[in-house]
Amino acid sequence: MPANNSGNAIVADSLTKVYAGRGRRPDVHALDGLSFTVAPGTVFGLLGPNGAGKSTTTRILTTLSTPTSGTAQVAGSDVRRESEAVRGVIGYVSQGSSTDPVLTARENLEIAGRMRGMNAVEARARARRLLDEFGLAEASRRRVSTFSGGMRRRLDVAAALVHRPRVLFLDEPTTGLDPEARATMWAEIRRLSGEEALTVVLTTHYMEEADRLADELLLVNGGRAVVQGTPKQLKAALHGDSVRVSLIEPDPAAVRAAVARVPGLSDLVVEASGVDGVLAARTEDASAAVGAVIAALDVAGIRFGQVAASHPTLDDVYLHFVGHTFGDSSIDPRSAAVTTGAAA
Amino acid sequence: MSTIALPGTLTSVPRSGWFTQFGQVLRRWLTSSIRQVWGPAMSLIQPIIWILLFGQVFASLGVLPQFGGDGYIDYLVPGILMMTVLYSGAWAGTGYIDDINSGVMDQYLTSPISRSAIISGQLAQQLIISLAQSLVVLGIGWLGGARYPGGIGGMLVALGVASLLAAIFCCASSAVALITRSQIALISLSQLIVLPATFLSTAMMPADLMPEWVQNVARWNPMTWAVELGRGGLSGTYPESGWWQAAGLTLLAVLGFVWAVRSIRAYQRSV
Repeated sequence: MPANNSGNAIVADSLTKVYAGRGRRPDVHALDGLSFTVAPGTVFGLLGPNGAGKSTTTRILTTLSTPTSGTAQVAGSDVRRESEAVRGVIGYVSQGSSTDPVLTARENLEIAGRMRGMNAVEARARARRLLDEFGLAEASRRRVSTFSGGMRRRLDVAAALVHRPRVLFLDEPTTGLDPEARATMWAEIRRLSGEEALTVVLTTHYMEEADRLADELLLVNGGRAVVQGTPKQLKAALHGDSVRVSLIEPDPAAVRAAVARVPGLSDLVVEASGVDGVLAARTEDASAAVGAVIAALDVAGIRFGQVAASHPTLDDVYLHFVGHTFGDSSIDPRSAAVTTGAAA
Repeated sequence: MSTIALPGTLTSVPRSGWFTQFGQVLRRWLTSSIRQVWGPAMSLIQPIIWILLFGQVFASLGVLPQFGGDGYIDYLVPGILMMTVLYSGAWAGTGYIDDINSGVMDQYLTSPISRSAIISGQLAQQLIISLAQSLVVLGIGWLGGARYPGGIGGMLVALGVASLLAAIFCCASSAVALITRSQIALISLSQLIVLPATFLSTAMMPADLMPEWVQNVARWNPMTWAVELGRGGLSGTYPESGWWQAAGLTLLAVLGFVWAVRSIRAYQRSV
């Protein structure tokens, strides 16, 4: 073995991935020299907007895709040269479904277990155990096609755990789930993170999710690492408070002009998507700033809704390092709701 | 596949053998097709119509000496048999496209599962389905008035040849599915191939009754090989070039299988 097996669950070194353009479309640089390490037994959050390179990173680390250049080891094995060894110790929950909808939950898990080298008795016992753990025991004989989105997702995670992997990859595990199912999934992930031997790599574009679940966070944007640290460290790196105003049918230029003269604001961002918008800024003195912002908007005749001041959230971290609010509201309407929810 | 050397530092990760993997892939697809049996069942409507319709409409052709004097229905059944497995096989790739779209394929590819076991397991399911369909077609033919003087042995030959033909088209369909990843591309491509393959063969008409250029095409059409071997089995009189035709079909099936396995590897490289 090469000397790179330094005890880290994952070592990614200068990963690049270029998808060749077709026709007149240019090449896409999905990853542009991404490096990071993940300590064993932790929950590692890969955080970034759509298209930042999170899924590409996951696909490379799970051997689904190969990097254009750079190297990566998972549990000490090289993803390219020792891909079979990597596959033996990882579990992967992709954004899609990993189970056959025509089969029952139990059949899916049993087949997964047999494929991974268990005999029929072991596979059956393991399937039953996982179905219990994930609250699917009663539904175990139902076809997966009858499952709700949340149940399906839990089954996907259960299927990825059948063979007791050392590294579990969760690619946006709660995207598309309703709030209740999301809360359940968060509880499951937290339970898993308590298992010492398991390292979890979680990609998400939900700030709240990253904040609640991850021990360590890597912010990626444009295929590059922006900043890495614990959620606490990242928030502490920002001084002062943040101010957020939700806007109604805003004209960003007018909003910007209206608050331009309010003293003490920094990192000002105004974004509009459809009929909603948000103004976000940082300030040393929230109480003074909130009044001044409201007054300025009133004077300019700008309609606004909720106004909130808070300690820095990961949204603010993102805003600070990447420069626009998190998520792409035009693609994912839910992220707007999460943004205001986190600020309130 | 079980002899792959794992790097020394890894504690032994249990791995299933090739046959277990194959068996589990087969189990998954078979369970799935038993629960959706209407699919294979629906694909039998067409041969029923062919046999009843063509058998009636062209019954008078049977008196022509080119049909061997046993009546048109006897001539037609082996053609319909091969046509049925051809149509059915050409759809085999749709399962992979569903898997690619749902994410199941990603799950396979990130597991230590042999690529050839994935292809073989699904192929085995397809062959089981085509065998069942073949038996039904032979039964319908018998009800329609066809007789099989070749006996049980001859029927087994016909079923074996039908399986070979099914294997060729299942593999080709799988490969095309994994390369194009598009249901529409797969369907249009198989439409483009399946119908000419049927009519430019001796499935419906003996070569002597067809224009010369069609005869030339038909001679090299694997569909013709399969139909004539199947007809030989059912009638008990094998064509002169039977061994060559059987060898040709076997070779194509092997090439098709290799192509399908290579396509699944190519699919992984391209994502």
